[in-house]
Amino acid sequence: MSTLNRRSLLRAAGAGFGHLAFAGLAGAATAAKPLAAKEPHFAPKVKRIIFLFMEGAMSSLDTFEYKPAMVANAGKSGPGGGVVTPSKFAFRQYGESGAWFSELLPNIAKHADSFCYLRGLHTDTPAHPQAVVQLHTGSANAALTRPSMGAWLLYGLGTENQDLPGYITINPPPNFGGAVNYGSAFLPAHFQGTRISDQGYLSNLKAAEERNLQRRHLDLIQAMNQDAASSPGAPDPIDGIIESYELAFRMQSKVPDLLDLSKEPQSVLDAYGVQPGPEGSFARQCLMARRLSEAGVRFVEICQGGWDHHTNLHKGLIQRSRQVDQATGALLTDLAQRGLLEETLVIFGSEFGRLPMSQGMDGRDHNITGYSMLLAGAGVKKGFTYGATDELGVKAVEGRMHTNDFHATLLALLGLHHKQLTYRYAGRDFRLTDVAGEVHSQLFV
Amino acid sequence: MTRVLILISLSAFSQSSDVAFFEKNVRPILVKRCYACHSADTKPAGGLRVDDRNGLLNGGDSGPAVIPGEPEKSLLIERITHSNPRRRMPKEGDLVTPEELALLKAWITNGVAWPAETIAVNKPNPGYERLRSRHWAFQPISDPAGDIDGFINAKLAEKGLTPVGPANDLTLIRRLTFDLTGLPPTPTEMDAFQKNPNYEQLVDRLLASPRFGERWGRRWLDVARYGESTGPSRNVPYPHAWRYRDYVIDAFNRDVPFNRFLQEQIAGDLLPANSIDERVRLQIATGFLAIGPKDVNQRFKERFLMDNVDEKIDTVSKAALGLTVSCARCHDHKFDPIPQSDYYALAGIFTSTDDAAGLRNRMGGAGLDYYNPDLLVRLASFQPVASSEKLEKLRADLAVAKKEWEEIRGTPEGLKLAANGRPAQQPFRLKYERLQVELLQLTDPAEYGFAVHGARDGKLIADTAIRIRGEAERLGPTVPRGFLTAFAVPGAKPVNPAQSGRLELAEWLTSPNNPLTPRVAANRIWQALFGAGLVRTVDNFGINGDRPSHPELLDYLSRQFLADGWSTKKLVRRIVLSEAYRRSPEAPARLREADPGNRLLWHRVPRRLEAEEFRDAVLASAGTLDLSIPAGTPASKFKMIEMPDNGPQSRGIQEAAARSTVRSIYLPLLRGVTPRSLEAFDPAAQSLVTGQRDSTTVPAQALFLLNSGFIRKHSLALAGALPAGATATRIRRAYRLILGREPSPAEITRAAQFIDGYSTDFAKLPSTPDVLSQTHTAEAISEKPIVPADPDNIDRTDHPIVDESVNPQSPNAAAWLSFIQALYASAEFRFVN
Repeated sequence: MSTLNRRSLLRAAGAGFGHLAFAGLAGAATAAKPLAAKEPHFAPKVKRIIFLFMEGAMSSLDTFEYKPAMVANAGKSGPGGGVVTPSKFAFRQYGESGAWFSELLPNIAKHADSFCYLRGLHTDTPAHPQAVVQLHTGSANAALTRPSMGAWLLYGLGTENQDLPGYITINPPPNFGGAVNYGSAFLPAHFQGTRISDQGYLSNLKAAEERNLQRRHLDLIQAMNQDAASSPGAPDPIDGIIESYELAFRMQSKVPDLLDLSKEPQSVLDAYGVQPGPEGSFARQCLMARRLSEAGVRFVEICQGGWDHHTNLHKGLIQRSRQVDQATGALLTDLAQRGLLEETLVIFGSEFGRLPMSQGMDGRDHNITGYSMLLAGAGVKKGFTYGATDELGVKAVEGRMHTNDFHATLLALLGLHHKQLTYRYAGRDFRLTDVAGEVHSQLFV
Repeated sequence: MTRVLILISLSAFSQSSDVAFFEKNVRPILVKRCYACHSADTKPAGGLRVDDRNGLLNGGDSGPAVIPGEPEKSLLIERITHSNPRRRMPKEGDLVTPEELALLKAWITNGVAWPAETIAVNKPNPGYERLRSRHWAFQPISDPAGDIDGFINAKLAEKGLTPVGPANDLTLIRRLTFDLTGLPPTPTEMDAFQKNPNYEQLVDRLLASPRFGERWGRRWLDVARYGESTGPSRNVPYPHAWRYRDYVIDAFNRDVPFNRFLQEQIAGDLLPANSIDERVRLQIATGFLAIGPKDVNQRFKERFLMDNVDEKIDTVSKAALGLTVSCARCHDHKFDPIPQSDYYALAGIFTSTDDAAGLRNRMGGAGLDYYNPDLLVRLASFQPVASSEKLEKLRADLAVAKKEWEEIRGTPEGLKLAANGRPAQQPFRLKYERLQVELLQLTDPAEYGFAVHGARDGKLIADTAIRIRGEAERLGPTVPRGFLTAFAVPGAKPVNPAQSGRLELAEWLTSPNNPLTPRVAANRIWQALFGAGLVRTVDNFGINGDRPSHPELLDYLSRQFLADGWSTKKLVRRIVLSEAYRRSPEAPARLREADPGNRLLWHRVPRRLEAEEFRDAVLASAGTLDLSIPAGTPASKFKMIEMPDNGPQSRGIQEAAARSTVRSIYLPLLRGVTPRSLEAFDPAAQSLVTGQRDSTTVPAQALFLLNSGFIRKHSLALAGALPAGATATRIRRAYRLILGREPSPAEITRAAQFIDGYSTDFAKLPSTPDVLSQTHTAEAISEKPIVPADPDNIDRTDHPIVDESVNPQSPNAAAWLSFIQALYASAEFRFVN
């Protein structure tokens, strides 16, 4: 669009059909739109992702990873020190897959046969800020901020619904990298995530003018922006500014409806456990995630923090699990009933895991050498376990999957080759998987 | 330099026989009698831990528990032997036997031995040696001959490139006025400059303007991670932080030499002062060290202290040196030659310093729990409140209330439930607490503006131990206080053993022989004027940072900076007088292809206005900017009580910020409560040193510019203020005010047609509600915090802020509002060329 001739626009405006002319020209220039849907590198198995981020490192050994050896070795010294301490929560098997879940997650456990269990994950840094950033951007090198995985997806695939942001993050952690986790870094800024509060609030979303008048107003702004973009030495971000106005204009008509949970029938609200206040935060996020995903938002991330149980593991897990279990179960049921699970991949997991040995009286320390995540939905085998940790759950020994491998695998599910999805910056081709990453297609359907 | 392997197996305080004595005789007593309430695995009752030597030395709420060598003065012994059984420890279980008491006393008399873990310190590291001698930033600053344009043009010539010519006068005055004052030039100033384009005179006028400090002070506040509250974990306001803000603005306006400026902020309390006023100014300066983010909800005091020490090391080292020293907290730095022992050499300086922010740590605390008035810096100007009858009576009442509360507390009688279902003792506690607050209100210097957040030397001046893997309680060998070994600073004085060492640290940082501080400072100034530093990673001059694009120029600037007595204004003046600064933004294809990132400085890259500049420029051009300097901020009346980011206090702050028309630097800036008028345009994150802001383009900005009450209110104000007259004249005036230039005839035609068409269509609409500008109710900001019953589980539900709507009624006003708003919303307004 920046190639538009300023004079032709002015002539068109002078002829009194500026709006139409501009809209037409803008339409003709769609091919140049950075957010337009793009063809993937190969046929995708997944269209959309919903990431349920358990920030702080949920203890999988107390929830969805059963290790009988922890019981057998209870009280003994574990590798690297500390006393092996089995979970205080009762585990049992569910479904035909016979997957083990603890009593903390009865609703999630109902979907035992839908999950693909990643059991061999490992990452690099046992500290939240770096690990959260690495999970979201592929690299924990603080000296050079990398684009977030959602931004890479938009860069590779564009947005499905041109009226909505393609990448939305709800209630992200204010720390541990903060905006880096949904930022675009050196990718153009229109690929960054849009942050929404767990109340569904996005400021200034309500149009201040009657719609046709605002369109007229916006056309004037965009005509000025076109002038600026075509002036010599125009700053690069102007194209992004033009794009951001069009998106904003469309968003204000679509987004408020999508975030208005009162449109849902009471039965749905009850199924998710929607309620005001912090207790209902994750349920609200799950329901907003379904609505946004259903409307075509490529990547939705929602967040429940407070899993960093160095102390207070017992009560803390009960409280946190209560906040996520019902809503997560309901989200999976809802997506399945609407047929959305056939094209949506749901990810449930943390930046790393926790150790089988105790820390203090009632806690577990970080574990980056072996941990688990749950996948459900499109593209992955159901009731399938991929990888394993050693018998105590300390170190990944089979199907080892580093964060870079995890990202490569996700991109492959979306039809993108992680080595081909590159962006040149500072003289180098960067990618989400840095210089590593291997696709683990063993878990694909 | 050869480095010696020093293997210290035991720190100075621990002879091996004493440690054996401790392990055999003393630790078992502590485990048996005290651990149930005072250890990491249980809880730190009263803030005290006995399973950690520093936990004992620093003590809990009542002060140090042990004083080495002085068992009779040690609280531990006092409480074990207390005559009042309700005060005597342990509260549960068997009492300490006389034999055990004797052992404890002997242990204290002999110096409180404690085992230290063995690690190798200063082991030779060939990688470090190589970096010390080779990394460019650690080498002395050279003294190259030349001048700014000479260095730049030489590099361009090497590539066979010729830079573009100078910008035109209007571009130049707009650029310089924004860069130096953060404001656009007025039409009068533009006219004057066009008539008499005396650039040097313009530079000097802007350097002398009080607006200079407001712009350049803001840049330093980014680096100083300025914020008026502790941040996310428990957001407790810093009601006195604004005095540090004003100190910074004043320092830039008076051009306090940068070396002196750093010294004041790091060691103001240790510098001599000739007057009370000067002493007060120096005390306020140390706010730099205190106003960082803090996790007051940390359970363990020692961790709280070490986290705050780390925060200071991180801030000081990044701000002054551009080094990430904090990486060496847990292990030797992975990239830069900063061993862990260097980190703890610096840490000893800050463990010997009181973090006088006014806060202590509490687990799950609420209300005034976190506030400790003794942990504020009392200003030298403070006059104690004269004793009065009222005060005496209050003191007497308080003593009685305290006695009554202590007598009933925890007794069966006190725990019995009263008619209201609460324990019978509760009214006694409430009365005691109420009287405490009343007395505080009469006697707390902070209530009268005589206290600030700052730093001062602590009671315990001592070297500190390396913490194994950065864990606060795992003591390694003690290392002497000192500075970094990554580079040499000839002539630097060692730490004064009688003080914390902050003064010598400040002198070491600001020595003309320090290879980093002048370079980092000069590079920050360069970045402020060119949009990017010669070293683009302005906060990281380490191995992972950028290399300077023009190393000789950076050294030349640093040398000039030193020669000019570290004067910021003189260096700014030198730079803006260069040809390189005055270049046009035009970008011929050949140059753009040769150097797309403009590292060779062949043209001017348009710079996006920062959040504060954007807001100030709207107000200034709309004629609604209030240039007065407000006293304090809306947060200065807050108590130091946790303030949820979504409660009525936050809403009050947001509404006050929305009403305000003062310069943005004076807006309230509590962490997590960013004013809406700044939020969308990447304001400083306030959590870390931010030498360079993000510059993103997102729909939230477009939504703000299309729909916010702020932009519409001020657009309407300008629409009303444009002089009556011909449409074209009014359009010209608006262009000149907002964009700083004349519109082309085509632009005038387009604008006139827009206004005409818009008002016609507007007139056809059914009449809108008659709201000209929905004003906020003039209610005072809620200063009353709401103390949650369970502070670990506060309601995160937002207190919705009413989005202000501005709906003019007449078609003409609506059209002009919309036109002016479009000028503000244009990409052109967002950039300064």
